Amino acid sequence: MLLASILSGFIGSLTGLGGGTVLVPLYTLFLAIPIQYAAGASLISTIATSSGAASAYVRDRITNVRIGMGLEIATTTGSIVGSLTAYYIYEHHLAYILYIIFGIVILTSVYPQLKKVSFELPKYMDPDWTTRVFKLYGKYYDEALKREVEYYGIRWWLGEIIMFFAGMISGLLGIGSGALKVIGMDWAMNLPIKVSTTTSNFMIGVTAATGSSLYWVFGYIQPVMAGVTAIGVLIGAFIGSKILPKIRNVRLRMIFLAILIFLGIEMIVRGVELAR
Amino acid sequence: MDINDIIGYTLRIGVIISVILILIGFALLYKEPNLTDLLSPHSKTNTSVINPVSVPTQAIHGDGLALILLGLMVLVATPVVRVLLGIIDFARQKDWLYTAITVIVFFNLMLAIFILPHFVK
Repeated sequence: MLLASILSGFIGSLTGLGGGTVLVPLYTLFLAIPIQYAAGASLISTIATSSGAASAYVRDRITNVRIGMGLEIATTTGSIVGSLTAYYIYEHHLAYILYIIFGIVILTSVYPQLKKVSFELPKYMDPDWTTRVFKLYGKYYDEALKREVEYYGIRWWLGEIIMFFAGMISGLLGIGSGALKVIGMDWAMNLPIKVSTTTSNFMIGVTAATGSSLYWVFGYIQPVMAGVTAIGVLIGAFIGSKILPKIRNVRLRMIFLAILIFLGIEMIVRGVELAR
Repeated sequence: MDINDIIGYTLRIGVIISVILILIGFALLYKEPNLTDLLSPHSKTNTSVINPVSVPTQAIHGDGLALILLGLMVLVATPVVRVLLGIIDFARQKDWLYTAITVIVFFNLMLAIFILPHFVK
């Protein structure tokens, strides 16, 4: 279990997906852990990796705390709805639905992965009224471009809608759903990818804390399992963050993406088997 | 010290405290009477059968399981503290729109931690 969680934390940090996306399939498919417990351990360990990573980025000023906080209204609301839905599903023995949704979520999260390979800034779009009202602007120093980047966000409302679903998926499946959060900021709000990924990471902690509290009451958190997982994922994420800057190898990324695709398909297959 | 630094350190310290508590908990776990159940993937011991209020006192008395649980509670509490710091920061800047937004986020957290549990049980 410790090895599986270290591996998940490692792959999670290298792909920017967080540990849960890899962890829950490994636990359920290979270690025969009930999906409730896998999701519970995953969600609570997500807080650890998010807080650990966010502490560095907040101080580097790449994270936009204002935009993150504004969007957390939607992620926390979504997380409450998602956790309650998960409770209903487990109580009615419909867990196969969650396997299938999980598989689909993994497969769709491959998209921003392909995009992240490029470090381009978003293309120009006119600011709208939400840019002004919600102060959706900021600047950060870009290490790769070696200059200060000024940016602003648009379509706050569209960001909020996507964040609601990101929060819901997080509560439903016990993952951080960082990929969906990145889509919300990168695609919907036209923010630079670096701001999107770090702000997403920053938001995951609060979203996961909301879901974890409800999981706690539902009894989806097995203390020993959750403890081992939190430590393991942190170790994995730490190793990943040390190795990440040295990795420029596209082929290695492709191997990780292949693992993700494999896990996604396996989850759907398992779901379909359980449904019969 | 800037508020962003304080938020950054809060997050880091929260995680460190939590990890230390969990590790001490594991070191003391051998004393647990129902150890085999605790280590089983289908364990019956989960958070629905544990009273969160009694966890801190049991942890002080060196109960391994309670220490792990306390570590997990610290982990959940860390983002809550972070949101509280956010409210203070936006209020200090007299940014009332974002103060209100952060209060709503805080309310959602309180809803999940203290209010909804009374309705689902």
